[in-house]
Amino acid sequence: MALSLTVNGEQRSLDIEGDTPLLWVLRDELGLKGTKFGCGAGLCGACTVHLNGQPVRSCSTPVEFAVGGEVTTIEGLAEDGQLHALQKAWIAKGVPQCGYCQSGQIMSAAHLLATNPAPTRNDIVAAMTGNLCRCGTYSRIIAAVESVAGGPLAYDASAAGEER
Amino acid sequence: MAINRRDFLKVSAGTSGSLMLSLSLPGCSGMPTGYTQETGEWKPDVWLEVTNTDEIHFTLARVEMGQGTYTGLTTLIAEELEVDPEAITPKFAPVAPEYRNPLYKLQLTGGSTSISTSWEPLRTAGASARQMLIMAAARIWQVDSADCSAAQGRVLHPNGRDSLRYGQLVELAAKESISDDVALKPASEWKYIGKQRGRLDARAKSTGTAVYGIDVELPGMVYSVVTRPPRYGARVKAFNESDVSAMPGVLDVFEIQRGVAIVADKYWRARKAQDALKVEWDNEEALSLSTHEVFASYRKAGDEDRGESERSEGDYEDSLEKAERVFEAEYSQPYLAHSTLEPMNATVWYRDNSIEVWAPTQAPDLGRIAAARVTDLSPSDVTINTTFLGGGFGRRLTQDYVEEAAAVAYRIKKPVKLIWSREEDTQHDLYRPAMLHRMQAGFEGSKLIGWHHQIVGPQLLDWYVRNAAPAQYPWAPKFMYDTLGKVGLLAEGIATPKDMSAIEGAIEYPYNVDNIDVRHTHTDPGVPVTFWRSVGYSHNGFAVETFMDELAHETGEDPYQFRRKLLAGQPRHLEVLDRAARLANWDTPVAQGRGRGIALFKSFGTFVAQVVEAGVENGVIKVYKVACAVDCGQVVNPRIVEDQIEGGIVFGLTAALYGEITYEDGQVQQSNFHDYQLLRQYELPEVTVDIVQSTEAPTGVGEPGVPPVIPALGNALFALTGKRQRSLPLKADA
Repeated sequence: MALSLTVNGEQRSLDIEGDTPLLWVLRDELGLKGTKFGCGAGLCGACTVHLNGQPVRSCSTPVEFAVGGEVTTIEGLAEDGQLHALQKAWIAKGVPQCGYCQSGQIMSAAHLLATNPAPTRNDIVAAMTGNLCRCGTYSRIIAAVESVAGGPLAYDASAAGEER
Repeated sequence: MAINRRDFLKVSAGTSGSLMLSLSLPGCSGMPTGYTQETGEWKPDVWLEVTNTDEIHFTLARVEMGQGTYTGLTTLIAEELEVDPEAITPKFAPVAPEYRNPLYKLQLTGGSTSISTSWEPLRTAGASARQMLIMAAARIWQVDSADCSAAQGRVLHPNGRDSLRYGQLVELAAKESISDDVALKPASEWKYIGKQRGRLDARAKSTGTAVYGIDVELPGMVYSVVTRPPRYGARVKAFNESDVSAMPGVLDVFEIQRGVAIVADKYWRARKAQDALKVEWDNEEALSLSTHEVFASYRKAGDEDRGESERSEGDYEDSLEKAERVFEAEYSQPYLAHSTLEPMNATVWYRDNSIEVWAPTQAPDLGRIAAARVTDLSPSDVTINTTFLGGGFGRRLTQDYVEEAAAVAYRIKKPVKLIWSREEDTQHDLYRPAMLHRMQAGFEGSKLIGWHHQIVGPQLLDWYVRNAAPAQYPWAPKFMYDTLGKVGLLAEGIATPKDMSAIEGAIEYPYNVDNIDVRHTHTDPGVPVTFWRSVGYSHNGFAVETFMDELAHETGEDPYQFRRKLLAGQPRHLEVLDRAARLANWDTPVAQGRGRGIALFKSFGTFVAQVVEAGVENGVIKVYKVACAVDCGQVVNPRIVEDQIEGGIVFGLTAALYGEITYEDGQVQQSNFHDYQLLRQYELPEVTVDIVQSTEAPTGVGEPGVPPVIPALGNALFALTGKRQRSLPLKADA
């Protein structure tokens, strides 16, 4: 089917079977390889992207569910050449090991902070528990999210640069 | 390691005016490389190149799978070259004998060996390049090179004012000869080694730009999936080719060695076509066992054959006669999957009578053999491009996924990416073997006088040598591969290193006991097995350190003090044991409803002790704290050491709490993360890692965090419940 959706602020049109998971559309049709395939069943979180501001598992979200919607991937998190505060924290805290799950981790964290700018430790753990990391970077992830929580986030354009 | 510099370093000039250094490590280059000197281009066996535009290229011979080689090895070069590690661009090595791991004579990354085997050679290479640049500058300035120094990519004039960029010096430096007396920097002058520093790959991995195998994109690329037999070893009898061929986007459907391959223009179309595929399997040679039969066969084998003696000290049988009390226990561990988060995949392009492979692989030279094996091509016709690996843990030492993709590409003659689903990855893995351990110990009074450990199970080289042996002789004709594999197995322990995979950690039993008897009964039920993070140490650690805990309790001693007493003359063991106990406040009472357990295990040259604090909440095991002390010799990057040890703890806890692959009638019962669970964020205990400051040579850290945490958790649960669990995974209601 012919369909269109907005990805990282750009309108994209394509012709593809509507049951194709959003993940493979992003990766193979639109060339956005930062979003990863881990389990195909919404169990690991490696494929997490934002659809209309909500985190979804793109491996089990048919692209027809995203028609007309706004999708944000790891590639769309930076604004005006500035990395999202979480990405900076991920680098500063040295979170990634193999790194394969980290796009999904960052997208889950970005949604948490967009909706709850000053989360408690429990809030962070709850928000991040759907994202598996086989390397065991969990404590660094918490440290990185906590280092940003309460601070400015580049992703929320209206709030960018503001002190919270 | 004593190395004569002239023997292993070669210097050459790039035509564009750059300084290039090649290394050949002892034992790696007994044969010609097969590469001709190219002009102006990257030469395959070059390790380090400094260009006239101040770019520094470093060939990374050990792959990056999360363990930190990308940062760690680059740091070693940078330190001696006197540049910031950030100024160096690492690239993944092609296949060449120079890039072999000197311990295995294969180009593989494993065994926690990357830092330990690179420590001397890479620093020496960096120092030699620095010295040549200094000598070039001294020649220009007409001063004594001994009065010059280097810093931040420049050579500094003795007058303290002038300096020259490395890029300005490379052309002249390449004409200098390699000196034999370049001193490595003393530890007191290190700027990068031993310092807290970030990872060089963190940015790419936090922005989605790091390229893993699954991300490779080629023009006109198509996609493949393979349906493999539910029962290992079954063969294709028939399949509904025409139904599948008619599915949208399907380009081809055909049998390969491992099953039926489907090629389609899109990945999702290949998967949908796979749903329509019906295969009739010939199960005559297929696996038909169930897990309980594996352990029954192990017990039978262990009864019939006491096994090869792997360590014998004193007279164990005699000590048994003398012993006033004898304790016995049997331990068992299940098969475990690797579950790298990036599933197995490879991208292959067959054209112009050659094959090019892009793969996340821990063993590119074995990948070359695998691709050659299933085509009419020779290893020299195969190029392997290694990408970042989305986890390895030993799984990507085996090249079955490269073999499949090469077979598909050879037929389809288009660039093709083959991706395994998570279910396929879980069910067609090669597993950490299920193992059985029989332990016996004798006491005279309160003195432990005899220790017996019988290990029952397979050896991993039986499964690995098939591709590994030919990879050591890449010029050998292919009809010899099977023979090389067989000879390789026969030569094991004679002409080639002994297979330690079943016994490692058991034979290094560190406690002072007069009579020690460690044996291995070699039996293999036919389940595919391979290396899994910490390999034999993963199961021997559980058996040895749980039994030690049982003995302490049986004799009414504190488990920490019981071990302590038996470690005279083992200062590094003692140090980490004491530190872990201190870190965990071992001497203070544990909170109500919790238990504390301790374990100590050396693996891959690294000493690790851990104390786990755990309890049971609402019928579920809850791990509260892990206190860990580690001695890995000289630390290159403390942050990465901490990460690796903590990652090992998470990996070990995952195995202890959840890990279990089971077979029913030859079929694996688990498929995805709902029934093969990994530890999640909310289950992470509070982990504290104490690293011993040491000037000993560095040892590995990728694996040693795994083994002790499993028995330490079991021992903590015993302390809490008084019930001993002798098989894994651990249960809350045992």
